[in-house]
Amino acid sequence: MTFRFVSRKVLGSLATLLFVVCFNFFLFRVVESDPVSALFRGRNISQQQRQQLQHDFGLDKSKPEQFVRYLNQTAHLNFGFSFETRQPVTSEISARIGRTITLVGISTLLSTTIGIWLGIIAAWRRNTPTDYVVTSTTMAFYAMPDFWLGLLLLAAFAESFRWFPTGGIVNVGSGATGLSHLVDEAKHLFLPGLTLTLAYLGEYTLIMRSSLLDTMGEDYLTLARAKGLRDATVRRRHAVPNALLPIVTLAAVNFGFVLSGAIAVESIYSWPGLGLATYNAIRAPDLPMLQGLFLLFSAAVIVANLAVDLLYAYLDPRVRTA
Amino acid sequence: MTAEVATPRVVGRRRIVWIRRRRALSRVWRMYRASKPGMIGLVVLLVFVVLAFAAPALASSSGLHAISTVQNPTWASPSKFGPLGTDNLGRTIGAQFLWGSRISLFVGLAATLLTMLIGSVVGIAAGFFGGRIEGVLMRITEWFLVIPFLPLAIVLASVLSRSLFNIILVIAITSWPFTARLIRAQVLSVKERGYVDRSRALGASRWHLTTRHIVPNVAPLILANTTLTVPIAILTETTLSFLGLGDPSRASWGKMLNEAFDAGAIGQHAWWYYVPPGLGIMLVVLAFTLCGQALEEILNPRLSERA
Amino acid sequence: MTGRRRSVFVVMLALGIALVAVAPSASGATKKNDIVLRVGTTQDIDSPNPTVGALVSSYEVWALQYATLTDKAAADFKTIPGLAESWTASNHGLTYTYTLRKGLKWSDGQPLTADDVVYTVNRARSEQWTNFDSTIAHITAKVIDPTHLSLTSSIPDPKLPIMDVYIVPKHIYEKVTKKGLASYKGLDGIGSGPFTLKHWSKGLSWEMDANPNYWRGRPAVDRVIFRPFTNADAMVAALKNGELDAAENVPSSSFRQLQKAKNIVGVAGQQGGFDEISMNSGAGVGGNPALKDLRVRQAISHAIDKQTIESRVYNGLTTVADAISPSANPEWIPKIPADKRFNFDLAKANTILDDAGYKDTNGNGIRNMPKGGADITLRYAERSESPYGAPIREFVTGWLRKIGIGTSVKVYNDTQLTPAIGKGDVDMFAWGWVPFVDPDPELSYFQCNQVPTKADPSGYSNDASWCNPTYDKLYKQQNTELDHAKRVAIVHQMITLMYEQAPYVVLDYSPDFQAYRTDRFTGWVKQPANIGPVIFSNTSPSYFLLKPISKASSGGGLGAGAVIAIIVGAVIILGGGGLLLRRRQATAGERE
Repeated sequence: MTFRFVSRKVLGSLATLLFVVCFNFFLFRVVESDPVSALFRGRNISQQQRQQLQHDFGLDKSKPEQFVRYLNQTAHLNFGFSFETRQPVTSEISARIGRTITLVGISTLLSTTIGIWLGIIAAWRRNTPTDYVVTSTTMAFYAMPDFWLGLLLLAAFAESFRWFPTGGIVNVGSGATGLSHLVDEAKHLFLPGLTLTLAYLGEYTLIMRSSLLDTMGEDYLTLARAKGLRDATVRRRHAVPNALLPIVTLAAVNFGFVLSGAIAVESIYSWPGLGLATYNAIRAPDLPMLQGLFLLFSAAVIVANLAVDLLYAYLDPRVRTA
Repeated sequence: MTAEVATPRVVGRRRIVWIRRRRALSRVWRMYRASKPGMIGLVVLLVFVVLAFAAPALASSSGLHAISTVQNPTWASPSKFGPLGTDNLGRTIGAQFLWGSRISLFVGLAATLLTMLIGSVVGIAAGFFGGRIEGVLMRITEWFLVIPFLPLAIVLASVLSRSLFNIILVIAITSWPFTARLIRAQVLSVKERGYVDRSRALGASRWHLTTRHIVPNVAPLILANTTLTVPIAILTETTLSFLGLGDPSRASWGKMLNEAFDAGAIGQHAWWYYVPPGLGIMLVVLAFTLCGQALEEILNPRLSERA
Repeated sequence: MTGRRRSVFVVMLALGIALVAVAPSASGATKKNDIVLRVGTTQDIDSPNPTVGALVSSYEVWALQYATLTDKAAADFKTIPGLAESWTASNHGLTYTYTLRKGLKWSDGQPLTADDVVYTVNRARSEQWTNFDSTIAHITAKVIDPTHLSLTSSIPDPKLPIMDVYIVPKHIYEKVTKKGLASYKGLDGIGSGPFTLKHWSKGLSWEMDANPNYWRGRPAVDRVIFRPFTNADAMVAALKNGELDAAENVPSSSFRQLQKAKNIVGVAGQQGGFDEISMNSGAGVGGNPALKDLRVRQAISHAIDKQTIESRVYNGLTTVADAISPSANPEWIPKIPADKRFNFDLAKANTILDDAGYKDTNGNGIRNMPKGGADITLRYAERSESPYGAPIREFVTGWLRKIGIGTSVKVYNDTQLTPAIGKGDVDMFAWGWVPFVDPDPELSYFQCNQVPTKADPSGYSNDASWCNPTYDKLYKQQNTELDHAKRVAIVHQMITLMYEQAPYVVLDYSPDFQAYRTDRFTGWVKQPANIGPVIFSNTSPSYFLLKPISKASSGGGLGAGAVIAIIVGAVIILGGGGLLLRRRQATAGERE
């Protein structure tokens, strides 16, 4: 990879990031709202107090001034203070990001691995009952709204059977430590994790299946089989590694998106991560918080895209000249 | 295609085009009929379309309104109040399900049409004009591709007032870039074909090239892509409505789920409230996806090479 | 092959465990033998800083963390000694002198003296702290000696000697500047009440520890853990499972079920809250001209069937109401005479509108303004934040249609609705109020000077834009009337007047739905007695009075062993299935 190529890609991503930063500002300034008075319904506050609060939030300045102030702060990774909690947005986000990465990370990991595995089975045994069962089941999960799946699992395993807790990330106040604490966390993680895993499983299975079918049609595989290699060996040594590339790409790009895709699932399971924070911030509405979250989600996608581009170029020299 | 040229009859140019199209269509239909998943999808879809059209005949809309169902029991299970039970206000689930299918399908289709319109115009313009116009259009497309879809849709939906039209608009704004990118790639490949080159060398105008060569060749892909975009549009509408961002006065399936969740249907074990709308969404999405995949396999030249 | 695949599984498992371990834990401080009370609610706190926060859950934190100068009796809100053990009036009731208890201490051991009280009152007044201002705006405090202080009001104040603002520790707050106060987190955890804030993990929990220096003594409960839920049904399930000991804001839909559950008591706690349909009566900005006509508002009052809303929307758990309730104490609510009542009667409503000249002149089913004017279509705002917003809208718009009044519905969240009302973009909405104990603040909201203006569309409380000079005159009278019986009579007169003028259609007195478990603690106290809530009440006395029944472990859910068994089982089944498939393929491959 040439330095020129890498720097061009990085600069391109930075330009995209800049666009997102500007877009965010204008998007959120469209929301006509008055957080100050909403906070104090039912209580008298004086005009002077109101002005003070508006000043604190920077709402008394003109839009261009607010924009300059916003750019300057964003450059310093300062996204202002949450309207709701009056704490820096960065600290609000960093308090929650770990939980979302835990949930989304484990789900992505599981859905890709299981998806790849099922895809291989379906492709290798295409047009058999196994293929039909795998394909139609995963398609069904793919077609469900993820939150509806979450509702069903919640109703069945938490409401009716009471096997798993209905929400949160730990049984607060149980005082558990060590291994039992870990088990408690795993119990809370199970249902939301299962929901996301099943919801994203379909896409990976179907893509792996079709990608493997593509690869299997290629000449060198026919050659390998003609050489008398056993099917399993052909699949493992030749077909699967080549078919994996698109799915790894998809997983990497998706991770950026999935980070923000857990909004409905997190709110159903009261999972206090970024998705729930987004949901609450929209309801408030808490503009600085939303801006920060939005920027983070977009940046995650941009970074994931850049990583994929560079990885691709590294693996496949033809791309570099493109 | 060569068959028509060999026909000895003298026919008008328009007529040739017409015959050619009709034959192509029947060829597509023959291939489509051979696809079992495609046919299953089509049948399911037809059932739902019929149900949606027949909703006024099957269930009176009075079942939707709380003031006209005051005599009904609340939270009645299907065994107590057929065919699908009632909700927290005594409204019948059956009527809500049938009438909701109209809204869900309408939003899905309308949003897809708008998406296709924006995406196709941008994609064809970019692919065809090339140069600076393409650069600008594709840059914008890429930027929009990077912005996470769902949060953008949610923010837009909460900024705009809650109406059916705005939901459609939000879905179109968030999903056009995918279409634009796809179409532009197809336009580029069509442009490189020999007959387009020849036509251009013969002095055909841009307008002529676009309407006579590019659009007809891109159209099948647009159709396949449309069928695959509808399920995404329906799922997006569902999610937005579930989050309480839908049109308050029109019940879609997503809105039913939102109301079921808010009314505590889970705690009431009122499965008859939250299962039917979800099932409906799943089946319709599945049906559109199956149809779309079958069409794509037939119409997308890159994919059909494999077959 | 098998070896490599196994190693992939091991890596995944390790990654998974690492990720779980990385997840921040709530707290590690709870010891096994601590007596812990676990309370679920549907709202997180916004800020534990009492000069900044505004949410109901934050009030619960302050009610526990800060003792007040005078306290309120659990049974009837009667003023009883708090930090002050006695007080005397002088100067025609304008000045009160308070004597503090001996040996008062903050939770960190520092002495609590008259200096802390005076510091709080005077600083709150000069800096206009939001949660304090309405109580102490006219009051000046003076230190007499470490256990004596005086409060002097510049106007006759019927509320004195009550002084229920939260007294903050001077040794902490004097380090926070006026400018720094808005962003001060308030996590110091130093207070004078029964419990003080120990830990707050946003969106997850906040924990309060027993204060050994509380003037009534150390509470029997060692720690209270509050857990906010976004999904109220999940909270109910957690209560049933025994993960919680009490829950606040239980959805009314699951309330009846909970009452039937074993070891669980449901409480529909009244503390004066009421729900109303508000109509823009036209004294402010914009608004539909039809609603300026008293006859239209009265017709609408006749067209809303409160009984049906009560049984269908509130599941028969509230009390149908006539007039507003200005206080948590029901003595302030007048009885509306039968001949003045707006009973549900669609025919009568139609007659009133016909007689008033609102006829459907263009035959579209919607009445028009007199002389062939525009259709009467009211802009109805539905609140997205209330679970009852949608059902009430269903009913109300349905009935309005029956009396020939159209509606266009728009959904708002509370933040957007507040300015929309002020700007006159809304004609009608359903909302509610929860008053304080003294009726003065609630009554003040309906004065003419609280109507939104063009210059300041969000600085208002009178959300019906209703202005009546007689009401204003009576308000000023009660505000300085020191004779209790006379004051009650004036307040009754004001509320009856408001009922007749119909800016509000008061639907019901809405209780706080709560539930608690009876198998771990006893001593739950309702405030006020018999009808009130047990937690999240005005001074929340329950927490201090609770006694544990036994050291029964918190049950519910699955044991750790069972979960591990399930996970292991799942892995075996998945792996086994894969292995099986692979075997079959291998033989198939070999056969080929």
